Amino acid sequence: MSDITASMPAASVNGRKRYQKVVPWLLLGAAGLLLPLLDDAYIGVIAQRAFIYWILSAGLNLLVGFAGQIAIGWVPMLTLGAYTTAVLTAGTVTDPWDPYLALLAGGLVGSLFGVIIGLPALRLRTFYFAMTTLGFTTITTQVALAWKSVTGGGVGTPGPVFPWPFDSTWGFYYFCFILAGIATWLTANIAYSRYGRALIALRDAEVAAEASGISKPKLLVLVFLLAGGLGGIAGGLFASLQSYITPDAFTFEMSVLFFIAILIGGRGSIMGPILGTIILTTLPEFAAPLVQWSTFLYAALLLLIVLLIPGGIAELLDFRGRAALPQHREIAPRPELLGAVLGKPDRSQKMSLHGIQLHFGGVKAIDGIDVEIRAGEVHGLIGPNGSGKTTTLNVISGYYRPTAGELRLNGNALPVETTPERAAHRIARTFQTPRLIGDASVLENVMIGGTIDGQASFVESMLSLPRHHQDERALRDAAMKALAAVGLESLADVRADRLQHSELRFMEIARALMLRPAFLLLDEPAAGLSGEEIRRLGALITAISHEGVAVLLVEHHADLIFDICDTVTVLNLGKVLAAGTPAEIRAHKEVVSAYLGA
Amino acid sequence: MSLSRRHILSGSAAGMAAMATGLATPALASNEPIKIGYLPALTGPSSSTGIAMTRGTELAASVINAAGGINGRPIELVVRDTQSDPTKAVNAVAELAQRARASIIWGPLNSGEALAATPLISRQNIPMLHPCWVDELIDVAKYPMAFRSAPTNTQVGSGANHYVVDVLKLKKVAVISDTTGYGTASVNTYVPMLRAKGADVVYSSHVDAANPDLRPELLRMRNAGAEAIMPWSVNAGFLSRVLNARGAMGWDVPVVGQTTLGSGQTRALLEKPEYWNKVYSNNFKNCCYVDGRLPPNAAEFVERLKRAGIDFNDTLLWWVAAGWDGMHLMADALKAVGTRPRDIVDHWHKVNRRPGVYGTISWSPQQHNGFLDEEVVMCEVNSLRDGAFNLAPGYRA
Amino acid sequence: MLESIITYGLAIGAVYAMIGITYNVMYSSSRVFSFTAGMLGMLGGVLGALFITKWGMNTVLAFGLVLACGAVIGIVTEIVTVRPVLKSIEQHLYVLSTLAFALMVQQVTAIEWGTEAQPFPKLIPVEAGLLDQKFWLPMLACTAAIIGLEALYRYTLVGRAFLAIAEDSYAARALGLPETKLRLACYAIAGMIGALAGFTGAQMLLAYFGNQAILNFYGFVPVALGGMGSNRGAIIGGLALGLFQQAASIMFGGIYAAVAVFIVFILILLLRPEGLAGVTVARRV
Repeated sequence: MSDITASMPAASVNGRKRYQKVVPWLLLGAAGLLLPLLDDAYIGVIAQRAFIYWILSAGLNLLVGFAGQIAIGWVPMLTLGAYTTAVLTAGTVTDPWDPYLALLAGGLVGSLFGVIIGLPALRLRTFYFAMTTLGFTTITTQVALAWKSVTGGGVGTPGPVFPWPFDSTWGFYYFCFILAGIATWLTANIAYSRYGRALIALRDAEVAAEASGISKPKLLVLVFLLAGGLGGIAGGLFASLQSYITPDAFTFEMSVLFFIAILIGGRGSIMGPILGTIILTTLPEFAAPLVQWSTFLYAALLLLIVLLIPGGIAELLDFRGRAALPQHREIAPRPELLGAVLGKPDRSQKMSLHGIQLHFGGVKAIDGIDVEIRAGEVHGLIGPNGSGKTTTLNVISGYYRPTAGELRLNGNALPVETTPERAAHRIARTFQTPRLIGDASVLENVMIGGTIDGQASFVESMLSLPRHHQDERALRDAAMKALAAVGLESLADVRADRLQHSELRFMEIARALMLRPAFLLLDEPAAGLSGEEIRRLGALITAISHEGVAVLLVEHHADLIFDICDTVTVLNLGKVLAAGTPAEIRAHKEVVSAYLGA
Repeated sequence: MSLSRRHILSGSAAGMAAMATGLATPALASNEPIKIGYLPALTGPSSSTGIAMTRGTELAASVINAAGGINGRPIELVVRDTQSDPTKAVNAVAELAQRARASIIWGPLNSGEALAATPLISRQNIPMLHPCWVDELIDVAKYPMAFRSAPTNTQVGSGANHYVVDVLKLKKVAVISDTTGYGTASVNTYVPMLRAKGADVVYSSHVDAANPDLRPELLRMRNAGAEAIMPWSVNAGFLSRVLNARGAMGWDVPVVGQTTLGSGQTRALLEKPEYWNKVYSNNFKNCCYVDGRLPPNAAEFVERLKRAGIDFNDTLLWWVAAGWDGMHLMADALKAVGTRPRDIVDHWHKVNRRPGVYGTISWSPQQHNGFLDEEVVMCEVNSLRDGAFNLAPGYRA
Repeated sequence: MLESIITYGLAIGAVYAMIGITYNVMYSSSRVFSFTAGMLGMLGGVLGALFITKWGMNTVLAFGLVLACGAVIGIVTEIVTVRPVLKSIEQHLYVLSTLAFALMVQQVTAIEWGTEAQPFPKLIPVEAGLLDQKFWLPMLACTAAIIGLEALYRYTLVGRAFLAIAEDSYAARALGLPETKLRLACYAIAGMIGALAGFTGAQMLLAYFGNQAILNFYGFVPVALGGMGSNRGAIIGGLALGLFQQAASIMFGGIYAAVAVFIVFILILLLRPEGLAGVTVARRV
């Protein structure tokens, strides 16, 4: 099971995998390019509609499919883009604009409102945001109707006409096709970058994402900008296709269509939602008598997908993900590789907690704790359930703000920060219950840990510039090394939700190592592990601390604690009961009576 | 659709070129049906017009076909339900043009859909006839092949304004509409017309048709001193709420406005039957009772409907009649000159005072709006009988 | 003007409040925010009109039947759209399953019942002006609902069991409470309250399929403002919303009233996400 034998077939397998991935895109692209040969203007109109809907859905896909935001009412972006472009080219408010500039303006307006309507999502729970988008949909239509002087009110306004060569039927078709291709390319670039992975992490494992330094507000704002912008551009094209837009063209059914198409296609995928959009756009055209039932059918389809195939079409097409895994797998960490993963941590690092108190109303979860964690040491934190162990970790990570007391890093007080900001101090952690992104591969899960070390900006990733590729290579390399260090490299491409519990625990450690932490907080990593696995875990943790990392280990497995810890602190009822070497603690009378037993 | 994909692929290049230049389409067998595209809204919020007009349209088609069709060729009505959605209307136009090879398109029947469909039909060079009222729909320069067989909004408003100001002799008027294309366009056009006639518009507003309570609006009207209410909407729910609010307030002013005020649907939504008193709606001279009798054409049409077992008690006679007239206008042209677009348009340009059940139509190369001003009149809605009404009181014959 | 604002505002506010309570009851038993609250309200009106006007049923009988239908629909909602999803890891799938179900029901109603708003009959054949039944019926229903719920929670064992599974479902199960049956019962109750809201409010809102979307949003605002799970917050929020909406409607006209409500809603949510009476959630890590 050495890495040499594992990687050789992998090279050619990778080559074939890359080829397999490209083929569907080539087919789709060819179909789009060659469709005009059918010389069927009707099919042309339907296809243009599908392209336009996809341009909006490509952006919405990042929001719904990747970030997991329930943006049910996204049609206002279409409305805003359509009206902006139409009004600017019609010359009702200003001198007529050049249609391309007007289209761009439509995109900008879409971006602006995308962020505005997205603001609630940054602070509120999913359902609230969903309702907000629904409310906004109504408002947009109302304003379009009421603002007669600009929008023409109920009578509407003529749509823009693009100049040669996009003024003929097939010319405009190719215009929409090209823009749809660009939209796909931009969003796919983001999807397969650290931003895309970060979005999925926020969706499925928000807590772990934050611990890895991913800031939800910052990232979501960027996505709202992009999704709103694409929606606005789609709107301008829609206005041109319709020739004339009135508020009643922007129906709630359309919003539902976009949203459902993405979910039918499958979250976290690009190809799936494309197919979903194509299907839902063309379906009503085939079944004329069923046409008034189309929204009902979409909804029924959504219900079936949610109940039976939550992964959508993408899950159905994921043949690779269903291949059998070897039955008896062993986790064989290789601590000798840790040096390459961790770099050279600063051995003078020290973190200290002084008089930390955390009260929830009347409950004193932590009632005055002093702890010191030093580089190169494994510091155990033990105590009965409810004594405040995990809560202490959470305070250090930044999920809770202490009611009193101070957290110091190398003598300097840490300000009250959000969890993502703590990651910048190289504080990494694992969780009591493994937080994973089920749909993503083990490798992708681990790469999440290194998100903040990426250099490429959102725009650079979107445009697939060289720095983005450098980032990806570096992250991938580092993640493979981390996986090799914890002994999971053979499972790198496997979907994380297929892993055994013990493997998930090691995967979390690999993810934490990606941060090249100065401080590693482990929350009951041995829970659910077999005896042999606990032994290997112990060796791994010891090796990590020998590299210079300060390790804080919360555990219930007394043997593990006494085996590998250099110092131990015992908590009880939110207070420090005892602190010292393992030998001292084992003999401590109160500790024995409160926790260890005879 | 009888044409197969193969026909489309092989014949389409020639077909497209032919349509563009106006030459004869490739020869078809002499009893091949003539296809007329039809774009009603049979479902969705604005479907009452569509459902009613379809009755007249289909009856006319079957009568014409029974009498031998168009010079031996039967009419085939290719129907595509627009679902009251402009997006679906555009898709349907593309399909009718490309697949069905329609010779003429009848409809859409709602202005919102027609606004989107007209430019596309025009680009396809297919002659188009529709009964929608929004003025912008007809433009001889932009859409040379589009014709209207119904009054324009301006004519309709003119008729109502004339009744309020000149016949009832009232000065202070409240104008209210819903927020659809039709509603807002109407108010925008009629308010200046009222003011030009010397009336004082003391209230003018658009209200969401789904708003369940219009009493605040009527209170504002009354506070402003309105002597007449003029509602413009095709939404029976909205109109009924105006009448209910007026009745609940015990405010006895005349209501003069949109045709749908007199529809069975509106009546069904009234809280009390007497709320339908003193309500006058647009109607058309050819379809109104005068001294208890319909004009001859309409009377004969009603008999025909009864014989054919077609129901019109739950709707308006003039909608059904408009469908009938529309089909005949198209059939007459096809019979006279054939299916070439240019010929159909030239024929229509020569239609002069052609009598119909619904309206007397006149077109010219400069005027594609066919309805006569004087045929737009007000009727008294609570006289509804067999889908038609009495002419409103006060008109001099 | 003022009387109109007060009577209509409080009445429609009571309807919104009841829909808010419907959301809350479903939420507190399952931690699920269901899109079906507005649907239940809509069906209360539509079914009522169907039974009384179209089928000629006796008013009291029809009322009982409408409540029964509400309960049944609530139960179906739980079984089909909530229970299967609670088992899966995906936390937000419930939003989608309830949304899908609500949309399906709405479409069927639009197609079978029609897209036009149909009249709702007068329930008590009396005439009155300001004190018309369409105003005090919803208020009466709302009061009855809230008193009933409070009594249930405080004085009955079943009610206290409801509270238990709302607080901590694991602990409740560990104590042997039949969580699934209790949840089912909660959804049935929610269904009845939603139907009650629709039935009593239909003289104002008419029997209209579009009420679903309206009630979904305007019934949610009281919950958002009052704090999730707080019935008292929902009542206050609902009445306040009703009054505000009516006042804005009269002063600015219908369109701007909707915009005004929306802006106020967003602002409050941005400033106080947990609602005016809500509590921040304690632990999620």
